[in-house]
Amino acid sequence: MAALIHRFARGQSLLLTMLLLGLLLVILVLMGRATTNSTKFSQMYSWLLLVCTIGLGALAILILYNLVELVRRYRRQVPGTRLTLRLSGIFAVLAIVPVALVYGFSLHFLQRGIDSWFDVQVDRGLEDALELSRTALDLRMREVLKQTLKISDSIAESDSDQISRRLDDLLDLSDASELTLFGWGGQIIATAAVDPSLVLPPPPPPDTVVLQVRQGHNYVGLEPIHDAGFHIRVVVEVPASGGNEERLLQALFPVTDRLSLLADAVQAAFDSYRELIFLRAPLKASFTLTLSLALLLAVLAAFWAAFYTARRMVQPLRELAEGTEAVAAGQFGRQLTRASSDELGFLVESFNQMTRNLAQARDEAQRSQEQVEGQRAYLETVLARLSSGVVTIDQAGRLQTCNAAASQILGVDLQAFIGIESRQIAVAHPVLEDLIEVIGPQLTLTGDWRQEIAWFSGNGRRILMCRGSSLPDAVGLRGGHVIVFDDITHLMQAERNAAWAEVARRLAHEIKNPLTPIQLAAERIRHKYLKQLDEEQGKILDRGTHTIIQQVQAMKDMVDAFNEYARPPRLQLAPLELNEFVTEVLYLYRDYPAGVEIKLDLTREPLQINADKGRLRQLLHNLVKNAIEAIRDGHGSTLWIKTRREHVTGADCAELIVRDDGPGFPSNILASAFEPYVTTKPKGTGLGLAIVKKIVEEHGGWIQLEAPVEGGARIVIRLPFHHEDVASSAAPAVPAVLANTE
Amino acid sequence: MHVICGLILCWGLLGAVGAWAAGFDVVKASTQLEKGVYRLNAQIEYRLSAPALDALQNGVPLTIELEMEVLKHRPWLWDEKVYSLNQRYRLEYHTLSRQYLVNNLNSGERRGFPTRSGALQFMGEVSNFPLLDQGLLTPGEQYDGGLRVRLDIEALPAPLRLMAYFSDDWRLVSEWYIWPL
Repeated sequence: MAALIHRFARGQSLLLTMLLLGLLLVILVLMGRATTNSTKFSQMYSWLLLVCTIGLGALAILILYNLVELVRRYRRQVPGTRLTLRLSGIFAVLAIVPVALVYGFSLHFLQRGIDSWFDVQVDRGLEDALELSRTALDLRMREVLKQTLKISDSIAESDSDQISRRLDDLLDLSDASELTLFGWGGQIIATAAVDPSLVLPPPPPPDTVVLQVRQGHNYVGLEPIHDAGFHIRVVVEVPASGGNEERLLQALFPVTDRLSLLADAVQAAFDSYRELIFLRAPLKASFTLTLSLALLLAVLAAFWAAFYTARRMVQPLRELAEGTEAVAAGQFGRQLTRASSDELGFLVESFNQMTRNLAQARDEAQRSQEQVEGQRAYLETVLARLSSGVVTIDQAGRLQTCNAAASQILGVDLQAFIGIESRQIAVAHPVLEDLIEVIGPQLTLTGDWRQEIAWFSGNGRRILMCRGSSLPDAVGLRGGHVIVFDDITHLMQAERNAAWAEVARRLAHEIKNPLTPIQLAAERIRHKYLKQLDEEQGKILDRGTHTIIQQVQAMKDMVDAFNEYARPPRLQLAPLELNEFVTEVLYLYRDYPAGVEIKLDLTREPLQINADKGRLRQLLHNLVKNAIEAIRDGHGSTLWIKTRREHVTGADCAELIVRDDGPGFPSNILASAFEPYVTTKPKGTGLGLAIVKKIVEEHGGWIQLEAPVEGGARIVIRLPFHHEDVASSAAPAVPAVLANTE
Repeated sequence: MHVICGLILCWGLLGAVGAWAAGFDVVKASTQLEKGVYRLNAQIEYRLSAPALDALQNGVPLTIELEMEVLKHRPWLWDEKVYSLNQRYRLEYHTLSRQYLVNNLNSGERRGFPTRSGALQFMGEVSNFPLLDQGLLTPGEQYDGGLRVRLDIEALPAPLRLMAYFSDDWRLVSEWYIWPL
């Protein structure tokens, strides 16, 4: 119900409002008719007026509600209200002006029209007609009085026995409809009537009449009959004679039909005219009222229609405005309902088409963007998984993209330098300076290039295989270069190792085999001919064979050592505490020939590693021996051995540092000190450090030779910590993993 | 002293004028039981206002209504209306015969009076009007009779009605006259 009232109030219920307007119209028509003629509508006049007032009040409230609502919406600046208000105003004014004009003229004509009904001549004429009627009636009354007096005379002497018959006779002779003889006391003496079926006794004359007659005045009067019409009542005195007392004769005469009709017509016309004159002011007021109500109805209906039409007209516009706002906000899913088939409907349809197209375009854009993103992510993933470093550089020399491997290989977090010029990167990281200088000239060229670059990184000499290509300056690519590089240091190292292993195998095969017969032959010669020769010759032979045997043995040893270096590892890994092990091994050197002092600086932290004890011992022996020899050759005196826990590239490892204050390594062999047969010592085999490096790599460790500024040499070894799950597994598949990640 | 006397005189005069002011009055009313029927006798005074007289003189018929009620006494509650009856008269001036016609709308009976006062007097004298059969009342209960007279505005011509509703001159109605039955 409340919803209905609300709908009604909002003017949405067109049917209901139309019904109300129709009802009010009907009421007004009825009121108009009720004012003019007193028919059945006249009875309902007051009710019609009441209902009409209530209806108009409801309509007024409805319009007021609409107006207030509209103004409120206008203040809130709801889209479309400004136009609604303006249109409503225009419509209302357009409707009111003609209605008001018509009202004014109607009112004027109404006043004039009603006044013009009344005319002095008509008034006079009617009065004359009335007078004429009266005169006619008077004549008739005089005539019937004469008749009655005659009857009175003729019955005066009649016998009381015959009076009844006499009256009947006289009734027949006269026009009277009834003759009655009363006694002075009012009692009926005799009566005669034209219509004998009348049971009721004739009405006695009123007392006033009786009194009048007694005083000698005959009574003639026009009196109303019981339900309709008039009759003439005549009362005369019947003189006393012949023993009869004085009596009253009442005669009732009908007014003749013709006269009666005419008189009634005149009377009715006169009455209604008089009434009209009398009611002139109220009639005018009533007409004015009805007219005003009609005006009010018209105005209110116009107002309502204005509101309704304006709202109907603006509705699609408002929806369009809201739809446009929604589209501006990026919501394309909105579809408007097409209400009409006019231009607005066309506009709405176009809008819908537009939003559909927009939504489609947006979806397509989104889809393609997703595709691009997907491809980009795919490429990024591929790049990230690549072990090769990939960087792109734009034409201005700025770093555009790089993958994780690039940062890893160069040992610099390149992600932080994206968009920065390569020269500035070189300033921030001087290690990259050489590399950038070498690559720089290639970037000026177009087409592909390929170059192997030896680069001294912070971790020693590296060999990078760089391949570059200039990028086209096309859509999405802004030219520049893409550079792909691989760290092939270890690859080359492995190649070299493999070559040495082959050499070792050949040596073993080609050299060691003839050595034993040579040795045996030399021993046999010595054994056989030493006794036969004199002392001097024997000495020569002895010395010669001895030299052969010694040198052959030396050659054997050399081949064995080389073989040892080149043979594939057969490790027996077991958990080991590095500090304990170092202490244990160096115990052997505690009484080492004077001149060398060994200083241990071991961390208190246990350093559990997984290692082959024998190999690790060899490593330590080699290092210490190497260092002591170096110290002795030079003028040093101290060997420092240090252990500590180190955190490198996300994993803990044990670090062993061996440092001496000997002459150190010349810079020209610093880079290749770990390669076989590279030595500074006249007596060295050149395999000591090579074997050390091999052992370290067998254990998955990392080794570095450094030349400290204070002189001497320093060797840093890092070995991975022992983990329970690693303990059971064999040696790392790829040696020097750690070195690779450095 | 003189002032007080003057005031009293003035008040008296005003009272007298008030008594002559237009309006209907039930002067007295009573019922008598006659052969099991309550018969009403009442005397009513009609003082028509100038506009009403003017209207009557100009051929507008006036309808006068006598409202009769029988009320039953009820302890703690308002009286219950057990019976009501309306008697309507139409008073009009017959220009042709120059007399006032009183039409009893209930019975249809018409009577003419040469003077207005005669007509009003006729309407004002209610005698032996059969009001109610005794059988309709519960013995032992207490009943009151009520009588009121008023001018029926709804019977006036439509143009006059609206004005009559808002005018004291046309609101001619007597107080309820209550008497024990």
